[in-house]
Amino acid sequence: MKKSILFFALSLLLGCESSKDTSVAPGAGVGGSMARFTIAANTLYMVNKNSLRLYDISNTADPKPGASIRLGFGVETIFPYRNNLFIGTQTGMYIYDIAQPQAPKQISLYQHIMSCDPVVAQGNLAFVTLRNGTTCRNGANTLDVVDFSNPASPKLLKSYPMRNPHGLGVDGNLLFVCEGDYGLKVLDITNPLDIKQIEWFSDIRTYDVIPYRKVVVVTGKDGIAQYSYADPKHLTLLSKLPVE
Amino acid sequence: MKRPHGYLALLVSLLFLPGCYYNETEDRFAAKTGYRPIYASYEEVRTIQTLVAQPMRVPGKIYIKDNYLFINEVDRGIHIVDNSDPQKPVRISFIAIAGNRELAVKDSILYADNTLDLVALNIANPRNVRIVKRIEGAFPYPAYPAQTGVMFECADPAKGVVVRWEQTDLVNPQCFR
Repeated sequence: MKKSILFFALSLLLGCESSKDTSVAPGAGVGGSMARFTIAANTLYMVNKNSLRLYDISNTADPKPGASIRLGFGVETIFPYRNNLFIGTQTGMYIYDIAQPQAPKQISLYQHIMSCDPVVAQGNLAFVTLRNGTTCRNGANTLDVVDFSNPASPKLLKSYPMRNPHGLGVDGNLLFVCEGDYGLKVLDITNPLDIKQIEWFSDIRTYDVIPYRKVVVVTGKDGIAQYSYADPKHLTLLSKLPVE
Repeated sequence: MKRPHGYLALLVSLLFLPGCYYNETEDRFAAKTGYRPIYASYEEVRTIQTLVAQPMRVPGKIYIKDNYLFINEVDRGIHIVDNSDPQKPVRISFIAIAGNRELAVKDSILYADNTLDLVALNIANPRNVRIVKRIEGAFPYPAYPAQTGVMFECADPAKGVVVRWEQTDLVNPQCFR
C-alpha cells in the first residue's frame, strides 16, 4: 500500500516533469512523432529523405545553415530527447548525441526490417512503430520497445503486434498509438514487458498525436480531436475540429 | 477439338494470374497511366499570406506552442488555432505556404518548408504573420511523384515548381520511378 502511494506521488511528479521534458529547448514548442523538423537547444534539425541538416537559430529570426549529415535512405522522422536525437528511417533507428548541438555524433543504428518508423523516447526506452505502407513495403505492423540504457547498443525488449501504426506519443505511464484507419490506442506501459491496452477509440482515423499537459491532440483524416487524460483509465473527448 | 481446350486452359490460367501477382505488381499495373507535374511559378509559390481562418481539408502534422495549436494543411499552409481552452479551440488564421508539410516554433518564430525553401516567419501577431528570412534551395527540387513503380512526365525546373502530380494518361512518358 505504501509502495503504491509512493508510486502515485512519483507518477504525479513525473507527470508534471514529462510535459516539460517533451520540449528540449526553452522557448520551443512540441511536435509530433511524425515530424521531420525539430528544435533542440539553439539548433533546428531537419531530416530529408537521406540526410540530416542543421540550422543555427541562436538568433531565431536569422537561421544559418550548419552541417549536413548523410543518413541511410528513407529517412522518416526525428525526435529529440535529452541529449539525443532519435531518427527513424526505413532501415532502422539512428541515435545521435547532440551534447554539441552543431556537431551531432552517431552513437548507434538499431537495425530492423524495412518499415516506416516514427520513434518517441522516455527514460531509457524508445518506442518505435513499424508499419507496412505503400511507400515502405515489406514491413511488419508492430510496436517495438527498445532499451537504450546503453545508447551504443540498443536492445529490443519486446515487440507487440499492431494493426497499422503511425505516430505515437508518450507521457508517464501512457503511450498513445495512432492506428491509422483503425483508430487510437491508449496503452499502459508501466511494465514495458507487459504493455496493456487501456482504451481503443476505433471511430476516428489517426495519423499523429501529441500528449501535452494532460490533453492529447490527435490529427488524422477526420480532423483534429482532443482528449483529456487527467484520468488515465478513462479518456474524455474535449473537442473536435472536423474536416470540411 | 484442340482449340476449345486451348481457350479453356488460357481462361483458367488467366483466373490464376491476378491471384498470384495482384499484391506485388499493383504499382506496375498503375503505370499504364502516369503522373504529370502541375507547375506554379517561383514567384507564386514564394508568396506567403496570412488569411482569415480557412476550412480544414487535409490535415497533416500538428505542433503545440504554449496556447497555440498549429495544424498543417497538406501542401497548402498552416492553420493557427488558439487552444487556450481545449474544449473550445478557436481557429484564428491561416498562413498560406505552398508545399508546406513541416513546422517548428521557437519563441515567436515559426520555421516551415515552402517547396524548395526554408522560411522563418514571425508569428507574434498570428493575424499578421511576416516573413523574416528565406533560405532558398534548402530542399531538393520535387523531381518525381511520391508513388513508386510509375511512369511520369519528367519535371522541368525551367517551367516552375511542381506543386502536385496529377494522375493522367500520358503519351510516351520519359521518366520512371
